Amino acid sequence: MECIITIELGTNGVRLFAFDLKGNVISSTKASYPTFHSEPDYSEQDPEQIFITMLYVLKNFLIESIHPKKYKVQSICFIASMHSLLAVDAHGAPLGNVITWADNRGKKEALDLKNSQLGKKLYEATGTPIHPMSPLLKILWLKKNDPERFAQTHKFLTLKSYILQQLTGEYVIDYSLASATGLLNIHTMKWEGQALDYAGITVDRLPELCSVFTTPGKLRKEYQTSLGLSASTRIMIGSSDGCMATLGAGVWGEDKATITIEDSGAVRVVGKQVLRDEKKRFFNYLLTENHYISGGPTNSGGVIFEWFANQFGEFKGPFDLEYTIESLIHEASNVVTGSEGLLFLPYLLGERAPLWNPNARGSYFGINIKHERKHFIRATIEGILYEIYSIGKMVEEHRSITSLSVNGSFAAIPFCSQLIADIFNKPVSTINKANSAGLGAFLLTATDMGIYRNLDEAAKSVTFHETFHPRHHDHKVYAQYYQLFERLSLKLEDEFEMIANLQQKS
Amino acid sequence: MNQFFLHHSQSKELSGFPHILEFAIRKNNTIQLNSLSLTTSDCIRIYYIMEGKFEWIIQNRHTILYPGDVAVILPGQTFQGENDFLDIGSLFWIHIKVDRVESNMQMVLGKWSGLSERESLTIGRILHLSQTPVLVKMKPILSILQLIQTELFQQQIGYTTRVNQLIDELLILIARQSTLQNNLQRDFPQAFIKLEQALRKNLAHQWTVEEMAALVGLGTTAFTERVKSYTGFSPLNYLINIRISEAIKLLRRDNVKVTAIALDTGFYSSQHFSTTFKKLTGYTPGEFRKRDSLKN
Repeated sequence: MECIITIELGTNGVRLFAFDLKGNVISSTKASYPTFHSEPDYSEQDPEQIFITMLYVLKNFLIESIHPKKYKVQSICFIASMHSLLAVDAHGAPLGNVITWADNRGKKEALDLKNSQLGKKLYEATGTPIHPMSPLLKILWLKKNDPERFAQTHKFLTLKSYILQQLTGEYVIDYSLASATGLLNIHTMKWEGQALDYAGITVDRLPELCSVFTTPGKLRKEYQTSLGLSASTRIMIGSSDGCMATLGAGVWGEDKATITIEDSGAVRVVGKQVLRDEKKRFFNYLLTENHYISGGPTNSGGVIFEWFANQFGEFKGPFDLEYTIESLIHEASNVVTGSEGLLFLPYLLGERAPLWNPNARGSYFGINIKHERKHFIRATIEGILYEIYSIGKMVEEHRSITSLSVNGSFAAIPFCSQLIADIFNKPVSTINKANSAGLGAFLLTATDMGIYRNLDEAAKSVTFHETFHPRHHDHKVYAQYYQLFERLSLKLEDEFEMIANLQQKS
Repeated sequence: MNQFFLHHSQSKELSGFPHILEFAIRKNNTIQLNSLSLTTSDCIRIYYIMEGKFEWIIQNRHTILYPGDVAVILPGQTFQGENDFLDIGSLFWIHIKVDRVESNMQMVLGKWSGLSERESLTIGRILHLSQTPVLVKMKPILSILQLIQTELFQQQIGYTTRVNQLIDELLILIARQSTLQNNLQRDFPQAFIKLEQALRKNLAHQWTVEEMAALVGLGTTAFTERVKSYTGFSPLNYLINIRISEAIKLLRRDNVKVTAIALDTGFYSSQHFSTTFKKLTGYTPGEFRKRDSLKN
């Protein structure tokens, strides 16, 4: 029997799935690696640690779950977080750590470019919002602030390019991840000269561009031996987590949208055309030449509720966050819709779409003497989901959306899925599988093998687990509060800047 | 409470306790210039604030202490009053001599202590790593100090053993409280990142699960379970991961010998290093080094 393994190199760790050729999950496993913040704006990971963790987990996974069941591994397909940057020298040795999407060191570079004519041009050409997350701005930052590392750099890679180079010896990048670097022209599918010039690099500093179906090379012999895989096991470059989560969510039609909420979140749509936006609020990433994945990302996902739980939850035992979150959700469900007029702005980490303001900050609004702890719990959840709705509304300026699919650990909590249905006033489906990015990578691989004729057919094969229908009374209540949420978010722009400045000083 | 001052060189109460250098309560009613200027401590100093507000600089960190707070100053750390004098108020203190201080500020207590050498090393390590010399609202410390005082002055049968036990208890309580204070026992990822940094800072050390667990403030069983569910690895396997990834970095620098890499990254021999490395990566360290230098 043959199987397909998907490996997702995520923000917090690596996650593996094995699928049979019908798309059933045979087994899965995960392991985590840390993120280091040596300076407040820095967010880095150790490339060797990630590589070793991945290798270790893959090996154990094969030995414990795949080889004993006599599965032959047909393909291994890779998925990774977007916007990471790793500089390597001529020997392929990393120069420092991987800089992750959450790294904000290029704040000033981003602001300068955003306010320029070139910024508008580059945004339209590359599909990547002008934001410190963009590798374009990270490279520029290195050039200005770490000229030595910049000069020594033989290649600027993404984390996945590095991992694949370790495994196969080749420097490659797929169109999906390339389209999230701010350096790729998503219309011509070539590196964008103006962006490269701005970053101060030439094409030979970048890995080779490939379609998501590419096999960069064979697994090195030593890894074949140590992992017990044959030379015929195919390594497939794969795509980004965002693109794969969308494919795996089975949402494949112009009237549908996917909502993913893990630590952070996003609202995404698929289309043959990009979403053009005067205000430069959307991303437009490439899956294939026929499929753009567009939408808006938020910083304020499950991580915000975890913050709340850590501060205000009641812990049964040490570090028992799961129990705490469960009991908070239970308490929240006993509060009426709209938290009796308590509103929460969830911008604890600044915000990306739709505000694109790193200075945005959180706030509770409308507190009166009758509000209790439980109202704060519910208001926090509602605030996180209003923020998601604000991205959805922005998407709806361009597409009319009739149904939604949600995934990710926070969005998939039934209480949250129902709230999303109510706030959006649209039916919400959840998929049967725990992880849509892994499923997306399976569908990608299976399509390439000819199991599905094309990605559209592959996406249609996704079965839905449960559908939440909007409750109209609740929607009415949310609609009123949402207006206030939106007004506050916009009105506080000056105050956000003032408080961020004060916080920077303290 | 009344003032008193016991010093090992002049107080007969301390004659059976060469490791108690000072033990005292002081009510400071006037400010005397230069009464607390910069010194480097050669023992463990524990101060419990009873009244007043004290502004001190401990190991270059400015700290403000209020009644109920405890300051702990380790051997080798610097200590002074914010303005070089002792502020007005009352405080209770004990100075405890250590047998020796090993590298990395690990303290070994004398024979008087009932703590095993490993326990006392771990306590020293925790106190040193915690980097917060102040424990807030530590009433139980006062009770222990008062018990020590009673034992020393009344000298009832068995008081020598009792006093030494109480000092052990004092140190244990301080170590536990200091991990609790640093990790609110809520945010595991944050506690874990602190542990990871401690591990990386001293990878050559033969870390035990007990030591790692103590730094997070958990017992070993709960700790192992948490680490497993959070990282996917047992604590020791997680540590091996960090060791191998550091080793890979060092292997890529051609000038470091494999044996040196093995020891620097915490393997007890180059043989142990080679087998572990090969098992995980499929290459021996030598092969791995060759691969990346030949390739390009």
